[in-house]
Amino acid sequence: MKENKRKTVSLSMITYELRNVTGNPFVHIFGIGLPIFFLFIITRIVVSNLQDTSLIKTASTSVFLGISTIIPMAMILMGYSVIQSQDLEKGIPERLQLFGIKQHITICNRIISELIFLSAAIILYFIVGIIFMDLQTPVISGIIIYIFCILIFSTICFILGHAIATLLRKFSLTYCIVMLLYFVFMIFGGMMGITYENMSAPMQAVAKLLPVTYFNKDFYTIWTGKSYNFVPMLQSYLFLGAISGVLLFIALKKDRRKGNLS
Amino acid sequence: MENPELLQIENLTVHYGKDTALQIEHPISIRKGDRVGIIGANGAGKTTLIKSILRLVNYQGSIHTNLTMEQIATHMQFNEYTDTMPTRYIMEAILQTKISQDKKLQELISYFEFEDCLRKKYSKLSGGQKQRFTIIMVMMQDAPLTFYDEVTSGLDFETRQKLVEKMVSWYKNKDSSLCIVSHYYEELEHLANKLLILDKGHVIDYGKKDELFQKYCGRAVIILNYSKEKETVFQNYEKLASPAHLIALSCETEEKEKEIIELLLKHNMDYTRSSSDIEIIYTNAKERYSKQNSI
Repeated sequence: MKENKRKTVSLSMITYELRNVTGNPFVHIFGIGLPIFFLFIITRIVVSNLQDTSLIKTASTSVFLGISTIIPMAMILMGYSVIQSQDLEKGIPERLQLFGIKQHITICNRIISELIFLSAAIILYFIVGIIFMDLQTPVISGIIIYIFCILIFSTICFILGHAIATLLRKFSLTYCIVMLLYFVFMIFGGMMGITYENMSAPMQAVAKLLPVTYFNKDFYTIWTGKSYNFVPMLQSYLFLGAISGVLLFIALKKDRRKGNLS
Repeated sequence: MENPELLQIENLTVHYGKDTALQIEHPISIRKGDRVGIIGANGAGKTTLIKSILRLVNYQGSIHTNLTMEQIATHMQFNEYTDTMPTRYIMEAILQTKISQDKKLQELISYFEFEDCLRKKYSKLSGGQKQRFTIIMVMMQDAPLTFYDEVTSGLDFETRQKLVEKMVSWYKNKDSSLCIVSHYYEELEHLANKLLILDKGHVIDYGKKDELFQKYCGRAVIILNYSKEKETVFQNYEKLASPAHLIALSCETEEKEKEIIELLLKHNMDYTRSSSDIEIIYTNAKERYSKQNSI
């Protein structure tokens, strides 16, 4: 009897998923265009309000690091979950499964392709930043921690996006929820005009739970290698990671009850 | 000697909420080389049966097979793919091959005249092209067991006929088993050698097409399009159950058949003779089942 090839993570499937990601207009507009646009606009506003010109480098670098979190939020939290919900609505994962591509293999292929595209977008963002902005040169530990944090944050966004799409299974609902989360993260992260210091106490309490806040508020300190208390930032990753993990667990449980094989 | 068994279904029950969608009490086995036509009205449980075998729905009972999921190929009623890229990339990714380097795939693409569609996105394909896209990939799997669920539904007559002709000729000298769900009985005349007749989630009968014909229709049947005149001419002849637009005359003996044909010629009436008509098998099997179960 003929044994068909068991389909695993492969270059052809990663390329397929990469085409899938790049074929989504959301990620180009919100994940590449918008952060670069925001970088120019917000830096100009912040710098124009500075009286001490020696702080331009500090301000530009802080804005640059904060805005960079829009890339994983738009590209993965929004872009991925929207594509995933559309696929679920159409029954595409089920169709792929019937061709022997198991859902966990699809997810692995997607994570890899999302991270490849995310890295390309961040590199492009850095090239624009280095060419057009007056940025502070980082210390080695600063750049390593930045890469580590952005990767962890992106992974959490992936888990959260996947859980929301799997739970809701509808494009319209998923789009609505992730768009809302995107703005919540931006507002509480201090990217929409209100800085952490200007927030009310309840708002600050929420902001403390979000990793984006630390990218915006504190990452300059880490970037330049100054002494920094990592505990609150670590707690925010643990908190968002736990919430996302629980949601994913519920989503997968619900999915299995429905008879869909994961 | 019978061919080896690929799949056996026993005491299968599928519930959708409080409703029982499918209940199979007697064992059903699908053997190597079987071409099973699965027929029944909407809601009979045809797709549910396929979904159970593919573990896409929860069920009680047993579906025994030594086949792995990779050895079962499926064309579902609705097949959707991503719309972010041309179909050639989807095909290459799913089949994990390159069209330019795969002779068998090239042959199938050309066989189904799909070359020009490879550059198009899935949503831009016509209904027939969409079906051919999935069929090519399903056939590429070359699986011992393949399911086709309403592969021609929604297609115009010509496209349907062409597609079925291609499928018949593709599978002609192959020993792979097929399970084909269809509402178009003439397709199954060419593709199926066995029938599984379902009604409201129950199995009415399962067996070889010719045996079922003999069981429910006898030796042969003469089928006429219904008219008052024909009804009057053949009022004293034994009739089989048939859809309202047809009259099915039973031909238990050769003599009886000759007598009917002479009468038809005398009245210059058109007719069809069959010893395998699936529509008549289905209608009579369903009627007998209803009587036996007092439905």
